[in-house]
Amino acid sequence: MQVTRRQFFKICASGLGSSSLAMLGFAPGEALAETRNFKLARTTETRNTCPYCSVGCGILIYGLGDKAKNVHTKVIHIEGDPDHPVNRGTLCPKGVGLLDFVQSPNRLKHPEYRAPGSKEWKRISWDEAFTRISKLMKEDRDKNFIDKNKDGVTVNRWVSTGFLAASASSNESGYITHKVVRSLGMLSFDNQARV
Amino acid sequence: MNTETRVLEPGQIEAPAGQIPFLRLARPDVFKQRAERLLQLSLGDSQGGHSIGGYLALLATLAQAQQQALDHFPAAPLPTPEQQALCREHGMPVLGAQAWPRDPSWRGVLKTILQHMAAAPLTAPASAVVARLMQTGGTELESIASKLLAGDLSDVDAQDMPFVAAALQVYWVRMAAELGEHAFGKLEQGGLCPVCGSHPVAGIVRVGGMEQGLRYLCCSLCATEWHMVRIKCSNCESTHKINYYTLENSNGAVKAESCNDCNTYLKLLYLEKDSQMEAVADDLATLALDVLMGETGKVRGGLNLFFHPGSAQV
Repeated sequence: MQVTRRQFFKICASGLGSSSLAMLGFAPGEALAETRNFKLARTTETRNTCPYCSVGCGILIYGLGDKAKNVHTKVIHIEGDPDHPVNRGTLCPKGVGLLDFVQSPNRLKHPEYRAPGSKEWKRISWDEAFTRISKLMKEDRDKNFIDKNKDGVTVNRWVSTGFLAASASSNESGYITHKVVRSLGMLSFDNQARV
Repeated sequence: MNTETRVLEPGQIEAPAGQIPFLRLARPDVFKQRAERLLQLSLGDSQGGHSIGGYLALLATLAQAQQQALDHFPAAPLPTPEQQALCREHGMPVLGAQAWPRDPSWRGVLKTILQHMAAAPLTAPASAVVARLMQTGGTELESIASKLLAGDLSDVDAQDMPFVAAALQVYWVRMAAELGEHAFGKLEQGGLCPVCGSHPVAGIVRVGGMEQGLRYLCCSLCATEWHMVRIKCSNCESTHKINYYTLENSNGAVKAESCNDCNTYLKLLYLEKDSQMEAVADDLATLALDVLMGETGKVRGGLNLFFHPGSAQV
């Protein structure tokens, strides 16, 4: 089908004088004066997936603020995505509470570490976190990796460590998770963060 | 395609619960509703009168005339079942605004509308236009209609446009109603009307029950509403770089959904904020939003046939 660009036009203050409004006897002056009293406010609507559970409900996030003017965008409302085939606009009570989750002062924003036996959470850097996790993983894998079973068949298993990924992951991050985890020989991993 | 074969057409199978209804034709009282809303808007709000209240009141009278003409419209020729099937097969609109050979009866509708208008109190320029259009010959009216339906506004007189468009709207609404919803399938272009291929006048975000939060685009010509996924440009169907603009300190009932990919915008009416809103009426009543969007360089992605924007076109 042919779509002609002629259908598209800008509505300009300068054009109003020859618009249907003016040509049928209504002075556009008041409308123009009114326009000068208004300013545009920019808002956003963003499609996303609820992070809670493996049902993967679609959500719409409403934001306020102009990124271009270096103002921090604020999330003002979250609701179920009416077009999403899984939830068709509905949300469970946890999903309905997502706005509080986003704005919670207790929200985890950086890695923290609590040593065994300690009651204190200590903030650490991402580098420290990654180094510690990989060190412990390697230590455990070196100690417990099973390359052959009792019949001498190669199995390459690592069953002493498990992996919990995110429920809101896309297909692609699911694929990458699978590649990383399985290639280490790990058998237990899940994307269920609800429980 | 062999049109003898009985193939189930869209709509013949009952939609299972939870499926999004794709299409809704204009209701039989579409113009009455529009007239009432235009009249209501023309009176302004508690802050005072509307800045283009006089014009909205004129259009309210015009929409009343449309309703009267629709109620008394005689049957007009329709596409044959073969033509309909061919259109559906190729994803073409069955009643294409530019392709469909118009029946002269639409000019009878125009006459009825003009008579109704002539009897109403009008401004001097509007009276003169009505009188002139009454005398305009069929060939010229057809030529105006063709340019209008092609969206070629530079050649359409800003005075004639609302009246001629009003008659064409009645004609298309009637034809679509005669054929019924099952006659229409989806088009390749999700942003064009599945009935007549026209651009939408605005989008409506519905409220309540099954339809809560669903966006429907409203046809500028035949008032058909068709579903389109939210947060998607109704012109180029891009889903990123979509922004929403509203007038600062307004209740956010009307937002301009703009696309940075194709540089267009279309207004969305959020019924949740104001359930009285109607696409054509509320689009016109928020002209200030258009002017401000125009100042940001954005171009409107659809026509309002009741409003010729004047000579400063892109």
